[in-house]
Amino acid sequence: MAGSRVDTLLGYRPLPGIADEMIDPQGKVRPVWQHLLGYLGRQDEQSIADRFATADRYLSDAGVFYRAYGGPGTSERDWPLSHIPVMIAEDEWAKISEGLVQRAELLEHIVGDIYGECRLVRDGLLPPPLVASNPEFLRPIVGLQPSGGHHLHFCSFEIGRGPDGNWWVLADRTQAPSGAGFALENRVATARAFSDLYAEMHVHRLASFFGNFRDTLLNKRRSREERVAVLSPGSANETYFEHAYLARYLGFMLLEGEDLVVVNGKVMVSTVSGLKPVGVLWRRVDASFTDPLELDQNSYIGTPGLVQAARSGSVMMVNGLGSGILETRALLAFLPRICRDVLGEDLKLPSIATWWCGQDAERAHVSAHLDRMVIGPAYSRLPFFDDKGQSVLGASLRDRAKESIAGWLKTEGAKLAGQEAVTLSTTPVWNDGKLAPRPMSLRVFAARTLDGWKIMPGGFARISSGEDAAAIAMQAGGNAADVWIVSEKPVEKTTLLPPDSSFTRNMPGSLPSRAADNLYWLGRYIERAEGTIRILRAWHARYAEAADARTPLLGDVTDYLASLDIEIEPAIPNSLITNIESALYSASRIRDRFSPDGWLALADLAKTAREFNRKVKPGDDATRASTILLRKLAGFAGLVHENMYRFTGWRFLTIGRMLERGLHMTRLLGHMAGEDAPDGTYDMLLEIGDSVMTHRRRYNVATARVTVTDLLALDPLNPRSIFYQLNEIKTEVEHLPNAYVDGQMSPLYREALRLHSTIALMTADTMSPEVYKELEREMEQLSDVLAQTYLN
Amino acid sequence: MLYDVKLKIAYDYDVPASGARHMVRVLPMSIPGRQRLIAGTVSIVPAPEERVDMVDFFGNAVTSVYFRSAHSHSEVNMQARVQVDTQPPGLGLYCRADEIAAELQAVTSIGPDSPHHFVGESPKLRDIPTIAAYARSFYKPDMTVDEIARAICADIFKTFKYDSNATDVDTPAAEAFELKAGVCQDFTHIMTSALRSLGIPAGYVSGYLRTIPPPGKERLEGADAMHAWVRVWAGRDAGWLEFDPTNNIPAGQDHIVVGYGRDYSDVAPIIGVLRSYGGHNNIQSVDVVPV
Repeated sequence: MAGSRVDTLLGYRPLPGIADEMIDPQGKVRPVWQHLLGYLGRQDEQSIADRFATADRYLSDAGVFYRAYGGPGTSERDWPLSHIPVMIAEDEWAKISEGLVQRAELLEHIVGDIYGECRLVRDGLLPPPLVASNPEFLRPIVGLQPSGGHHLHFCSFEIGRGPDGNWWVLADRTQAPSGAGFALENRVATARAFSDLYAEMHVHRLASFFGNFRDTLLNKRRSREERVAVLSPGSANETYFEHAYLARYLGFMLLEGEDLVVVNGKVMVSTVSGLKPVGVLWRRVDASFTDPLELDQNSYIGTPGLVQAARSGSVMMVNGLGSGILETRALLAFLPRICRDVLGEDLKLPSIATWWCGQDAERAHVSAHLDRMVIGPAYSRLPFFDDKGQSVLGASLRDRAKESIAGWLKTEGAKLAGQEAVTLSTTPVWNDGKLAPRPMSLRVFAARTLDGWKIMPGGFARISSGEDAAAIAMQAGGNAADVWIVSEKPVEKTTLLPPDSSFTRNMPGSLPSRAADNLYWLGRYIERAEGTIRILRAWHARYAEAADARTPLLGDVTDYLASLDIEIEPAIPNSLITNIESALYSASRIRDRFSPDGWLALADLAKTAREFNRKVKPGDDATRASTILLRKLAGFAGLVHENMYRFTGWRFLTIGRMLERGLHMTRLLGHMAGEDAPDGTYDMLLEIGDSVMTHRRRYNVATARVTVTDLLALDPLNPRSIFYQLNEIKTEVEHLPNAYVDGQMSPLYREALRLHSTIALMTADTMSPEVYKELEREMEQLSDVLAQTYLN
Repeated sequence: MLYDVKLKIAYDYDVPASGARHMVRVLPMSIPGRQRLIAGTVSIVPAPEERVDMVDFFGNAVTSVYFRSAHSHSEVNMQARVQVDTQPPGLGLYCRADEIAAELQAVTSIGPDSPHHFVGESPKLRDIPTIAAYARSFYKPDMTVDEIARAICADIFKTFKYDSNATDVDTPAAEAFELKAGVCQDFTHIMTSALRSLGIPAGYVSGYLRTIPPPGKERLEGADAMHAWVRVWAGRDAGWLEFDPTNNIPAGQDHIVVGYGRDYSDVAPIIGVLRSYGGHNNIQSVDVVPV
């Protein structure tokens, strides 16, 4: 049979002296891997390539990305999926889970003690400097009773298998653990690539873990009025995609610090319908940044007064402010004793051996066993293989004088920790048609539910790009893989959707003001881009014929563009690119409200525009390029029109578009449709206003000032006319929350109505540059009133 | 000594500010054996929509206020009567500089007065190599903490120029150190940083200074606004000592303590966040009169 493989291991050779996930120490394939290995062996090269492509296409269509730092600027990178899942047998996983549940309980005890009675320090189980000199020890939290009774609700653990085959905890994540959403996306992608295999094997599903956690958070609200929200640092964060994804998946609001205000000790979100209470905040922002008043005074992404709200117990923080102290690397050295003291038992899952160099005996030990050590910052919250080069391998210091290292350890001791330099186990990756071993660590997630801690059955495997464990971090080129916990029996299959019988139609929640603001401006930027491109296209089409930019008509249009700060060179001008980037930025801040299709359409528009900006020439080339851009804009507008749910958010987007379109036409006519307009002006205006055919049909005469004005300014049926926009704006404003206050029209509604009637009564012969100027001013004022009413 | 202390801090905004939230630390504290607050009030104008009075981690009195509506003028007024006790003369039980690490290790508390909070980095005082080098020039292992503190205090007084135009409230200590000029806040930061670089716990004290000196004595610098000085931990027996590098004296009967912290950010008289589009002016006046 063509493509069949003789080598049942598909070329896989574990590295000597290193534990391996697939091959046991006796050189045999672990049973849990046999099914996958047999399956892969039956595929030919093409079939494997197709399957991987299916997964990649899913990720790309879903818009999964992560943000890479460093180098020139930051960029969104494709999600680096390693397609071969890591297989772990159910019984082995049960032991890991049991160890992690114990650990989560232990960590809760420790953080409660640090911010509570401080017994661990007093009894000598925890050295005072590890708390008092720790940047994550947040003094304003001392004495705070967390709402819900616990500091910790969602943790993750970085675990790895050491050379002896046992699992070790490498780091605890309690500040704002990331990766759970990515684990879900890895699962969907991998299950699509191997849909048949996934159906045959008994792989534990992830959905019930999330459902359980969601229900728990909803249950922790004190009333149904209260919202549950994911608090994100914003779209510049490397895991922003995940914040938006989880918020959408679980049905929570996605908020940033500026969306929140604290009133009488209660956290409120400002929405277009007013302030609404927030009962639970799933915090993805490091605690220090959450309140510039009581925590980091330099934070621009916080909410003043949040600590006071937490202190008053009105909001449950997931996790409690200050929990980040548990991530301190040197703390690992003290867990075994604390565990025996607090829980009366040994750690079920040991931590990687750690020594804090602030103690004489421990420092001496590190000094004496330098070759086996990794030495790094004691207060670091990152595992040693992932801390951006802050840690050094003791072995690499061998050439330095022994005394100088001893001196370094002594003077800097309290700031340093030594850790055993473990080699992590390897797992197979697909490499050039073969399986190859790569070091990996697992990120495992734990959630506190109404029935205690639950461990996600699976997780997020991080795989090194080479044979060196130091390249596990994705920023360093590492990959991510799905983790399959495999049972011998069929597993429960749940989804997050409730069964049909419990069907209810939920009303969408209130729209946060910031989201409304971004939608409004997205609408305006998109429309502004379209208006600009339409003018440019008409300009270049005429330039292509006349080959002279100084004709009276082209000169006049150039002046008009200049008055809007739009330059005529390059042919696709920089100001247009800035405009499209602004649209993309506004959209990026509300990713949770966008379908991946809408986002991709917009990103594609920006990419094309940037390319054109670099290379398109004036004349025909620019005309063609403009047409392509207009088509892409129409594609985005179509997606919005066809797919976006008609609720408040859509209205703000629409009002933004209509207002900008109205302004565009008002300014254009005000500048160009004067008494002494150059030849060709009215034909050009009709072309810019996309109304050539309509004019021909409606007026039966050659273009004249009056007919063109009538069609482009006052026609209620022409979707490009000024009147049409004001009509639409009036309708949308009427449907916004609080359009009527105490039975009275809101100032905004009154203004929209007034503007609408003003233009309804006008006739074409009365339209003068002064009238247009006045209309423009009033539309700008309408925008100001809208902003004051809803967007602040 | 019995004092009447008055403070007024007033803000004027060019454009009305709204959504202002402030943490105010201006009320003297009671410290057994050092000073006693007999009576004191903090009043805020206009009346804020929310007000919470509490005590922070270091034991300082904090008033937290929230002005929801727009205002173009606001004022903090503090009035207090404080008894400052005569301090017992030092018994000379200061520990030696080379013993300080061992002394520290023997302290197993992390309560507000624990020296452990005052050795590491703090928000405004990261490791500053230039100041560390400066500090080393004063260090001999057999000197007591008290002797080292006095030497640094005297040197700052001698070589640094008191100049309120040289720095502002946000000037980093490293910069003031290069300028060799500044005000009480800068001198306190520099001395604190110097002591910490030697492993000696040191912190920031904010407070008031007697306005008119006793007859025959010179008027002290820093009396017309809130003042700052240094506290130093000299071992378990001696505890905390206070020095005023702006005037090169131990802080004594003329010094009234408002707050203890690791640096200015822990005890700033007013920390505020507000929404405003224009500039603002503020004036501060202090009056400390013996009764």
